[in-house]
Amino acid sequence: MRLPKFDYLLPGSIAEAVAMLQDRPAAKILAGGTDLLVNMKHRVEMPPVLVNIKSISDLDYIHRDNGAVRIGALTPLKRISRAPFIAEKLPALARAASLVGSFHHQTMGTIAGNLCQQNRCKYYNQSQWWRSARPTCYKAGGEICHVVNKKETCYSSYCGDSAPALLVMNARVVLQGGGSSREIPLEELFSGDGKSPLNLRKGEILSEIIIPAETADGVSNYTKYANRESIDFPIVGAAFWASREKKEYRVAFTAVAKNPVRGRRLEAFLDGKDLSKASMAEASKLASKEAAPVKNSLFSPAHKREMMGILLQRAVNEATRRSCE
Amino acid sequence: MKEVIELNINGDAHELLVAPNHTLLEVLRDQLGLMGTKRGCDLGACGACTVLINGEAYLSCIMLAMDAVGKEIITIEGLAEGGDLHPLQSAFINQGALQCGFCTPGMILTAEAILTEDEHPTEGMLKKKMAGNLCRCTGYKKIVEAVMSVCDNTGEEV
Amino acid sequence: MEKELNVVGTRVPMLDAAQKVKGTALFTDDLVLSGMLHGKVLRSPVPHAKILHIDTSRAEKLPGVKGVVSGRDIPDRMYGIVPMAKDEHALAREKVRYIGDDVAAVCAIDPEIAEEALGLITVDYEELPAVFDPLEAAKEGAPVIHEGVKNNTSFFIKKEFGDVEKALAECDDVFEHSFYSQAVNHAPLEPHAALAQYDPLNGQLTVWSSTQIPFFLRRNLSNTLQLAESKVRIIKPKVGGGFGQKIDMFAKDFCAAWFAIHLGKPVKFVYEREEIFISTRQRHPMYITVKTGVKKDGTILAQKFQAVADGGAYNSTAPTMIALSCFFLMIPYRVPNLIYEGSHVYTNKPVGGAMRGHGIPQARFAVERQLDIIADRIGVDPAEIRIKNSIHAGAPHPAGFVINTCGFSESVKKAADAIGWQEKRGKLPLGKGVGLAGASFPSGVSNMSHISSGAVVQLGRDGAVNVLTGAADIGQGAETVIGQIVAEELGVLIEDIRVTAADTGITPLDPGTFGSGVTVRAGNAARLAAISAKQKLFQFVAEKLEANAADLVAKDRQIFVKGSPDKGLTLAQALKGYQYADMPMPIVGRGSWMAPASEPTTLFKEDGNFAPNYSFMTQAAEVEVDLHTGRVKLLKMVTAHDCGRPINPMLVEGQLEGSVVGGMGQALYEDVIVEKGQVMNPSFLDYGFPTFLEMPEIEAIEVKTDDPIGPFGAKEAGEGTQLSPAPAIVNAVYDAIGIDFMELPITPEKILAALAEKKKKEDKVQSFSH
Repeated sequence: MRLPKFDYLLPGSIAEAVAMLQDRPAAKILAGGTDLLVNMKHRVEMPPVLVNIKSISDLDYIHRDNGAVRIGALTPLKRISRAPFIAEKLPALARAASLVGSFHHQTMGTIAGNLCQQNRCKYYNQSQWWRSARPTCYKAGGEICHVVNKKETCYSSYCGDSAPALLVMNARVVLQGGGSSREIPLEELFSGDGKSPLNLRKGEILSEIIIPAETADGVSNYTKYANRESIDFPIVGAAFWASREKKEYRVAFTAVAKNPVRGRRLEAFLDGKDLSKASMAEASKLASKEAAPVKNSLFSPAHKREMMGILLQRAVNEATRRSCE
Repeated sequence: MKEVIELNINGDAHELLVAPNHTLLEVLRDQLGLMGTKRGCDLGACGACTVLINGEAYLSCIMLAMDAVGKEIITIEGLAEGGDLHPLQSAFINQGALQCGFCTPGMILTAEAILTEDEHPTEGMLKKKMAGNLCRCTGYKKIVEAVMSVCDNTGEEV
Repeated sequence: MEKELNVVGTRVPMLDAAQKVKGTALFTDDLVLSGMLHGKVLRSPVPHAKILHIDTSRAEKLPGVKGVVSGRDIPDRMYGIVPMAKDEHALAREKVRYIGDDVAAVCAIDPEIAEEALGLITVDYEELPAVFDPLEAAKEGAPVIHEGVKNNTSFFIKKEFGDVEKALAECDDVFEHSFYSQAVNHAPLEPHAALAQYDPLNGQLTVWSSTQIPFFLRRNLSNTLQLAESKVRIIKPKVGGGFGQKIDMFAKDFCAAWFAIHLGKPVKFVYEREEIFISTRQRHPMYITVKTGVKKDGTILAQKFQAVADGGAYNSTAPTMIALSCFFLMIPYRVPNLIYEGSHVYTNKPVGGAMRGHGIPQARFAVERQLDIIADRIGVDPAEIRIKNSIHAGAPHPAGFVINTCGFSESVKKAADAIGWQEKRGKLPLGKGVGLAGASFPSGVSNMSHISSGAVVQLGRDGAVNVLTGAADIGQGAETVIGQIVAEELGVLIEDIRVTAADTGITPLDPGTFGSGVTVRAGNAARLAAISAKQKLFQFVAEKLEANAADLVAKDRQIFVKGSPDKGLTLAQALKGYQYADMPMPIVGRGSWMAPASEPTTLFKEDGNFAPNYSFMTQAAEVEVDLHTGRVKLLKMVTAHDCGRPINPMLVEGQLEGSVVGGMGQALYEDVIVEKGQVMNPSFLDYGFPTFLEMPEIEAIEVKTDDPIGPFGAKEAGEGTQLSPAPAIVNAVYDAIGIDFMELPITPEKILAALAEKKKKEDKVQSFSH
């Protein structure tokens, strides 16, 4: 399957990259390429210009900054999964990075690329010929969503592994735009719109991920439920974070909604409680209410909802067991 | 618009006329005649197209040829020194770790990348890192045995 | 039978292993010819429709496009791998019958332009009602997929042995169950490909094709292109796996040839992975009902077996598949009274074809599952019930099979022991269990018209041996096994052997790789050819040594009188002497072999022996079921395996290990998911077959028998071991969680639903008891 034609630009700096993106509005950033290039072969994404930001130096780093952790956008997932500091202090993130795709994907793929991945749907992630059996879907540039058979709406799901892990750490992201940069909570990056999953202004590039100091020493974990133990996207992924000092908890899920989801009702329920068998059992039931997955994958929504609770249980068990060792 | 780029492949510099939308796999096979790197799915889901980029395992079917400029690229043809076989290659042969042989170049290069970063992986770690390489013939068992046997040979340069 | 063997029975690496690890082994897509063009196939996006009009004009005008072809341009000749079942055109004429059906093809100077050109072909379809379920398709009033085929049932077979109704009446217990086995894709790593070249001077077409059946491909291309067979040469390069999916002609073969002839340039077609999932072949989904009558002690008296195979849009191997499915119910158990009925029904879906086991995995799943259920209900141990019903070597067989060697009972005992049957069955905690299943497979089916192999062995002056065989090595090591057999017979080393294979222009006839017939059939032919060459040399040496040719032995590159190793010549001396005596060089031996049959029979009409020999095996599985996620983990699979005397134990292990993981995929992971005729998961990402991390522990136990028909006592080792993993796993799941699953695959969702259902019932019972 050949890639469509495109112009290829090599910026020397973020500013240059931003200018290129603003100059050619349909341009896309190329990082590891493991998501975008596949979509381009499928002709669901056809940017006329690719701006290769791998050529920008100094975006591959893991820094400690007064207790906070700053990770450069182009840090490979492999590096994140192995950095001793991250494995120790931010295990959910290390775990998530180690579970993305396969060894090759973790070598080629970057943390920002994984965060900013395109949403997925069984009617969308298919070749051009395959999709010609139906009218083009809304996300791919047509009018209708085949999941719900309605117009002007998109029911694709966000399926990235690292997002929930970063969400439970209250991560923030730095977005560099034309002449300015802003810092927002990661949660605000995700629009909840299946067709355009990211809230980026024209030409903006995610350049850094910040995990605040107050998070960077919690008990955390990410569990992934997929068909196989490698290569696959999650059917459901669950991340969990608990404070070491107080009974404060955070929970997030992926592959169950149009964006990665913080389980705020769950968190409210668990707040102040011990993670006893009883409270966890109750939490598991609540977990499945934190999202309403739809039939846009090969796995049923009911199964996904059931697994949300199971995965949360497992994430907690593993995390607390690890922290006792 | 095609451009002339230089790619360093198996130790040699090659000047090539390449379009942005050419993948490294296409350039290796179609322009350089290096057929050892295989196209199994063209979408990065099987590992048959594995090459080494600066010693690490990459999926050449979802990598732009232009992105490989300035890197050290090793394909299966470049693994052995001179007329000798690489220890992984010998182990695969002698232990029956291949049948149809289509996944084999990718398997061997991935194993090489793994052993480069960790000379003595545990069997569990080896399986995890090889799990992006699919095989339909062998059931994987002899591949694991062959690679582990190379790790166990202390004093062997891998 | 010689007991001391030097080459046969040893763990020789594959002859082409070095090429494969170096990346120099040439598969079809690795071949490049000067001026080569590239082709792509346009496929139907609708499941059932009339083709009203095809407009190729825009495609033809695209710079770089050299040709476009569609069904209206090609001869009206149908093809099919089974002559009586030909129902397919290389490119659809008049109508398309499934999403993925071949409609047109383009040829261009590079694949990128060819891909672009496909998008410029416009086809006007008039959609017709489609049917996706074989049970629906077989009813009155269902859409007609092929004219003249009533009830969309292209083949139906019914056969009875003994008197089933009478026997059922004498049974203590009769059980009836229904089963379903899903569509599975072979998913070989190497995509289907073909490269064709035509010489206009002598009118000769050469096609390099990733195929399992070079000689059948020749026949099909000859018929469809209307070229004499002698003008069509098929050469098989290295093939990257087939498992049955490359047993057929495909559009890529025909179109490559077509364009090569019409454009005067070599033309290559390579399929995308998606095309392989959708438009090649898959294992037939099957609905099966089995009724089995037993005595109190578990002895099977009668069986009634009904199968409906979902054939998809075309026949492919239909009649053979459905016959095999039914026929081999007679092994490994003795079924004195049997009725089977099998039908192959068309649907507007991807086409079913031969896949490792070829109809038997589905039947085996049903029968082995039911046997476990029966054992459980009547209180007999599942291992015991299998031993009790085992057929035996030399015993008369209800269908007339000749069973010379049979290690089945021994395989049951050994597999059960190795898995820890006594300690574990029924005794492990909830969620853990063991199960087993038996199987048997013919080493090639001998009574399907004329199925024979030929071989030629040449001895040159230098002691190197050339073997010409038509056998199609697709990665299983056929050439290596044949090389070993010849080396053993000639008393040379494996390094002295060079095998030239599967080139219809050079090598003798061979039907190809299917039905596990290669080792026995092509191996025996090679052995006879080696013996024939050897006799000529022995005649000469006998005279020289003033001995009897019958007393000579060839071993370690020597020829000597049996018992007097010093009274002999080296092979080099013998060959030199032969040449200097002006004897015709090279020394050529030829042989051909067809399985012995008492009378000519056909698979569909007669009784009689259907295979030269049969392999037997039992597989025992240990599983762990995660009660929360429903995920079944196969912890260990033991295979106790009677393949006679393995020619190459390392290659046999490879077959077995691959089979186990393939069978596990069939049981737990794989399913071609189709929505309204469209395959929803046509990728390696979404059709998730097992990776390194799904690997179970695999143990192989040899059960030695020494078959009189197989070369050096060998029997098949490629397919039998893929029959029993799935039922062994599902039987183990029953032991683990007490639920009988009647379909494949058993996914986590199904397990959880069944567990919830079970709990509901138990709660109900509990509440009643209060």
